[in-house]
Amino acid sequence: MRQFLALIFDAYRELNSKKLFWIILVLSGLTVLVYASIGFNDTGMSLFFGLMDIENEMLTKDSFLSRILYRSIFSTFMIGIWLTWIATILALISTASIFPDMVSGGSIDLLLSKPIGRIKLFFFKYIASMLFVVLQVSIFCVGVFFCLGLRLNDWEWRIFAAIPLVTVFFSYLYSICVLFGVWTRSTLTALLLTFLLWFCTYSINATEAVVNMFKIQFTMEVEAFDEEIATLQNNEVQDNGAIESRLETIQTERDERQVTIDKIDRWHQPVRITQTILPKTGETIALLDRWLRRETDINMMDIFTGGVAMDDQGDFQRAQSRDEDREVERRLEAEYEARSEYFIIGSSLAFEAVVLALACTIFVRRDF
Amino acid sequence: MKSQSSDYAIDLHDVRKIYRGKIHALRDIQMQVHPGEIFGLLGPNGAGKSTLVKIMMTVVRPNRAHGTILGKSIGHKRTLARVGYLPEHHRLPSYLTGQQVLEFYAALAHVPGGVRKKRSRELLKTMGMDDWGNKKVSSYSKGMMQRIGLAQALMNDPDLIVLDEPTDGVDPVGRRDIRDVLLELREMGKTIFLNSHLLSELEMVCDRVAILVQGEVATQGTLDDLTRESQRYEIIIAGTAPSWIETKSGLRAETLDDDRCKVIIMGADPQPIQTVLDQLRQENRIILSVQPVRETLEDLFMRAITDPATGEISSPGASPNSNRKSKGVRA
Repeated sequence: MRQFLALIFDAYRELNSKKLFWIILVLSGLTVLVYASIGFNDTGMSLFFGLMDIENEMLTKDSFLSRILYRSIFSTFMIGIWLTWIATILALISTASIFPDMVSGGSIDLLLSKPIGRIKLFFFKYIASMLFVVLQVSIFCVGVFFCLGLRLNDWEWRIFAAIPLVTVFFSYLYSICVLFGVWTRSTLTALLLTFLLWFCTYSINATEAVVNMFKIQFTMEVEAFDEEIATLQNNEVQDNGAIESRLETIQTERDERQVTIDKIDRWHQPVRITQTILPKTGETIALLDRWLRRETDINMMDIFTGGVAMDDQGDFQRAQSRDEDREVERRLEAEYEARSEYFIIGSSLAFEAVVLALACTIFVRRDF
Repeated sequence: MKSQSSDYAIDLHDVRKIYRGKIHALRDIQMQVHPGEIFGLLGPNGAGKSTLVKIMMTVVRPNRAHGTILGKSIGHKRTLARVGYLPEHHRLPSYLTGQQVLEFYAALAHVPGGVRKKRSRELLKTMGMDDWGNKKVSSYSKGMMQRIGLAQALMNDPDLIVLDEPTDGVDPVGRRDIRDVLLELREMGKTIFLNSHLLSELEMVCDRVAILVQGEVATQGTLDDLTRESQRYEIIIAGTAPSWIETKSGLRAETLDDDRCKVIIMGADPQPIQTVLDQLRQENRIILSVQPVRETLEDLFMRAITDPATGEISSPGASPNSNRKSKGVRA
């Protein structure tokens, strides 16, 4: 415990000495400040604590839309863009040097000569390195918690779930950084390879989504053909010749679609297996949105994409439209939401465990 | 890494290290260090000194190593709580102050918090760094780094202190201070294992030395033992050498210049020189000086690294040849 605490304090002091740590902290603070500066009054919305007013009768104080907007800014921009991308990239840049520095000549000698095993040292240092993200996200969450509470009287404790979630998300990437850092002893190489792998993961996820979308689209078409075939077969109209001809055409088209689905499936399966193996960065962060969402919640994206519409009484309701694109989107979303938290985090942590085991093996077996 | 009970502070047997399957850095090293002594390890560059030290400190994994350190097998991590180590070219965390460095490494060595504070202040004072304890290490000179590094090695009040080039970059005053600290530690019963290139400094403090050449111990023992064969008396007299000198065994003469010559009497026993002095006086020779002489550590070192057959000095670095035969001057 004494050794662990020493490494935690050391990590804190190291971060404290890094300008980038403070720059990110200030940027985080500014992001929260800008968020806090958004207000709603009787005439509409105000920015920068009233310096700028946007008159809009739908965005007045305590209106339904203003609440949706304020929460959406949090989930879409502050989590989706700031924490997922900008803060993570900066955090990786800040922490990438920790392991290469540790294994550099002269430094590692001092650490290994102490009564601490290599495996213990490796994992203690790894956990201590997470301090960066834990501190940043904690401060961020406290800020956002008060913003939501004071602006919307919405004291949402579940926001603090972002601390473990973002830390876990960061740890997937950081494990890769540590592996390359220990292996190559170069901060720059470790950082570049981490970004490359992150980009690959992102690409695989995007590819899977696109392929899956096509698959769902064609599956829906097959379902439509099946429905039509069933209708035609039950039809009691006497013109059997026309029905037979139509059935034949539909059946041919249906079979063609099915062949296409089979072809897509041949691509989809390996992509999906690869996706299963790789860390689910996007899906992990999306879990926060899933956890924070309430049954009645509607977000700005729903409004922009037409997923909800205003009824005659001026209330927003889920759109009943069954148009094809929206149905594909709905099914896609439903499929991803059907993936449990345990699968998303568990499989990603399994990847992280393998990467860390590899990095630890290199660290333990290497002569310094 | 097998262990065996031992009364030595360091007792190494068959320590072998081969890099990448072909470079023999260490070949079956046998080395013993007694408790409470200052032991000097020397050798040319690439002889394997640092590899040996790193194996003892678990920084490098040996291919084979038998023996003990403080009675526990080599590589026993918990024993390292009783060992202090200053590596060569050490890099201290630049974001810490001197005091924080001491406390950080002491915490890793299981030193309790209260003791860390007290001891760090004491050691900063001992090392002449008390005014610098609260300043960042990044602002230190090389000599200061070395002093803090040495203090760091002493934070856990170790029984064994392993120092790799402790006076590297330290000014003469600092060197003397470090030397004094080492002698004081020896007085306290600590064992010190010293790896240094500065032969004159080793000579001043070491009780025993070992010379490593191409991964093998060429020689080890006390300085007296190692230089016994070369111990002699030298009498410088005016004029030419007497003719009877060459006829007596154990005596030889060397002409220094036209007016002086040197009579050399081999051995550490002062008795034989009395007869020679009597004889010289009888011949009314003017005796300019009489002094006991022994080989310096540098002479010993040069002899150890020189091939007696060819007279060539060993090439630096470990040899890829695994069949190298020892050519040492074992005492």
